[in-house]
Amino acid sequence: MNQAIISRELASFLRTRRAVLLQVALAILFATLVLLRWPTHARIDRFGERSREVYRTFGFGLLAVVILISPVFPATSLVRERIQGTLALLLASPMRSWAIYFGKTLGILGLILVLLTMSLPAAAACLAMGGISPGDLLALYGLLILVAAEFTALGMLVSSYAKSIDSAVRITYGLVFALALLTLGPHQFLQGGTGLVSDAAEYIRCASPIAACMELFGQQDVSGQGLMAATDIAKRHAVFAVFATLLMAIWTITRLNHRLLDRAKSAGTITNELGLLSRVFRRLMFLVDPQRRKPGIPWFVNPVMVKEFRTRRFGRSHWLMRMVSICVIVSLMLACFTAIGSTDWNVETIGGILVVLQMGLVILISPSLSAGLISIERESGGWDLLRMTPVSSLRILSGKLASVVWPLSLILLATLPGYFVMIYVKPGTQQSMIRVLICLALTLLFGMLLSTCIGSFFRRTATATVAAYSLLLTFIAVPMLVWVGRDAPFSHSTVESSLTLSPAAAALSAIRVRGFENYELIPLNWWIVGGLSAVFFLGLLIQTWRLTKPD
Amino acid sequence: MSNQTPALAVDRLTKRYGDFTALDSLSITIERGRILGLIGPNGSGKTTTIKMLVGLARPTEGTAHIAGIDCSRDSRKIKRMVGYMPDSFGAYDNMRVDEYLDFFGAAFGIGRRKRVKRIDEVLETTNSTYMRDRYVESLSHGMQQRIGIARTLLHDPDVLIFDEPANGLDPQARIEMRKLLLQLAASGKTLLVTSHILPELSRICDQVAILLNGKLRAFGSLPEIMKSITQKRTFEIQFPSKDAIPAAAKIGRDFASDEADAELSESPAEAIIRLRTAKSDSEMGELLRQLITAGIAVNQFRELQADLEDAFLSITQMDENGTQVAGTPSTEKPVEATR
Repeated sequence: MNQAIISRELASFLRTRRAVLLQVALAILFATLVLLRWPTHARIDRFGERSREVYRTFGFGLLAVVILISPVFPATSLVRERIQGTLALLLASPMRSWAIYFGKTLGILGLILVLLTMSLPAAAACLAMGGISPGDLLALYGLLILVAAEFTALGMLVSSYAKSIDSAVRITYGLVFALALLTLGPHQFLQGGTGLVSDAAEYIRCASPIAACMELFGQQDVSGQGLMAATDIAKRHAVFAVFATLLMAIWTITRLNHRLLDRAKSAGTITNELGLLSRVFRRLMFLVDPQRRKPGIPWFVNPVMVKEFRTRRFGRSHWLMRMVSICVIVSLMLACFTAIGSTDWNVETIGGILVVLQMGLVILISPSLSAGLISIERESGGWDLLRMTPVSSLRILSGKLASVVWPLSLILLATLPGYFVMIYVKPGTQQSMIRVLICLALTLLFGMLLSTCIGSFFRRTATATVAAYSLLLTFIAVPMLVWVGRDAPFSHSTVESSLTLSPAAAALSAIRVRGFENYELIPLNWWIVGGLSAVFFLGLLIQTWRLTKPD
Repeated sequence: MSNQTPALAVDRLTKRYGDFTALDSLSITIERGRILGLIGPNGSGKTTTIKMLVGLARPTEGTAHIAGIDCSRDSRKIKRMVGYMPDSFGAYDNMRVDEYLDFFGAAFGIGRRKRVKRIDEVLETTNSTYMRDRYVESLSHGMQQRIGIARTLLHDPDVLIFDEPANGLDPQARIEMRKLLLQLAASGKTLLVTSHILPELSRICDQVAILLNGKLRAFGSLPEIMKSITQKRTFEIQFPSKDAIPAAAKIGRDFASDEADAELSESPAEAIIRLRTAKSDSEMGELLRQLITAGIAVNQFRELQADLEDAFLSITQMDENGTQVAGTPSTEKPVEATR
């Protein structure tokens, strides 16, 4: 029954030029990943360590592709159909909701499988090198399919709730990165400990496909301490993924009915017209009441920035205040962990964990806020209205960028107490901490400008967001893949040159995290990241100017 | 704007995209306070014309001036002189009507105090004051169109350009929209309106421009256009009973026998005959005299008024030389459809 949907979801995409380009690009990417680590010496590797290195690089590349690509299709699937009105046609057809759901899901999974098949020649090359068994490859592909299924189910669930395509993409990527990266955080702090909290952190880590992948490759965690307990992360992750996929599938299927379209439009209650008691209550609860009539944009404030904040779901003042509160709590917790942890771990390790977490946040938040700044206007038809106002392209751009700089700065500020405590614990690290903070500020700037610049070249927000995530990850994560192969097969200078491109690596080297202490990346990294930011800013400026000019 | 300067003057305006000519040498002029209806089938060049007028597209050749200001060279001034409502509303999520208008007012550089007052005024003009606290995305299509017009009025432009303002509106909303457009024209604004709903345009427009395949095929008031595209008129003669029809039809055919392509149709159920002819009023008076002389009682003898739809169909069915394309139906609507 759902064959029609499967064929539409799969065939309609595969027929496009974009699909062909994506497949060719992936085939080249996987081949490059293998070539990067292909042995160049005619030396016998009896233990197959070299081939396992190739396999690891290839495997991480595959995982990155699945994490980046699999959420975008399901995230846009239901919400796009609802906006276009075709979901009503589907729901009005004799098809049952489960048939619609599985039709869509299988179509998307089929597509991801097609993309994964592009990696098979590279996988065969890894196998031919020896050192890994067909079972290893099967386990890797099995894990990847499970991850794809889990993220597809997650994307479909978010899509059933989302009001717009871009918010669906943002929320889905946010949850995917939270699941993949943030779940690793508690374990990093509490590893090696005993008790309920440590056990919980261990279980939470199993939700991350990265941790499961690392176990498949026989690797330890980043900044892992001491002996690592073998906890069958991959198996636990498989159980978690199956359970989560089923749960999310059932949840989404129950939502696939007429109620999805039968949503009441908010009448827009206004506080000014409520009774005195209600007004006082709301004032106490909100401090800055979002439902209050606004006095108007003052002359000294960029109207585009105000518009960006107001149209953003969590952009209003009360949300910003809540964000500040959360940031304060998080920073206090980090400070507390730093103080407690300093007796067990050194400052550098804690700093490394902080940097990794912050970089995760930057990768997560910058593209989601910045990539759609211009494409969303072009997609909704608002861009022509904006062009019809006398606001200059520079003012439009500065207003839009300012709306991203504020929340990103809050995130940066939130971590300052943690660094202050570290400086207090080990005063000698003051210079390093300042360097780390400069790296983080540059990363935020870089992430924002890269995402906005790349996003401005696309008409669809979903595509813009995916492109921005991919490019940002390429800059930040690909040098890390080279770092994984430090000293063998890559020489010290090759790794150092590669790491110079990554602001994350620069921050880790500044704080002297284990594995990065031998690389001098600063100030060259600052120049490169600063220079690239300037290039992206210039590109953005030209593109915005071009878009505001007559066609 | 000086009263002598035309509100809109377009001279040989052309837009080409590669080999494709979207608009070919369009020349029109509109006086201040007039309403111009721009009509044409999809892809005829209406939106391209509008985009060049508001400075969103650059002409390949020719010029367009609004109140004497060049649309492509001085787009910054044009933005302040023109209020443009595109065919898509351009809603921003999570924004109230008041905030939406406040943003555009601020973007046009209107001071905060004046802006608050101006928002009140435009909401009142468009009869939308009750919507001011509602979320923009929650408004119905008709409401959004009215807010769209309110937005275009914020900076008090002299020329208003509306792309398909009546599209998707219900009959009640269309009537309100028509009243609103007439009210704006009465207040001295010059309006350029495109629409597919031709009866709506024919009721409000002083002038009509018909575009076909990027070329201007007719321009002027509706009666002028009708006169220019066809010399034929349709007369309807009604009798007390259908018994008079055969004799009356015979007289009618004899009367028009000197005209090769005159058409006479009978509708016995209505006791009506219709004659499509190029004869003048005085000649038609002779027909009436002949009928009466033959002892045939006549209840009604009148000319059917051609409307914008007739003009549009006539023009779209003509080839570039102005002759009727073979195989296309007559420009007159079927008899039953006119009733």
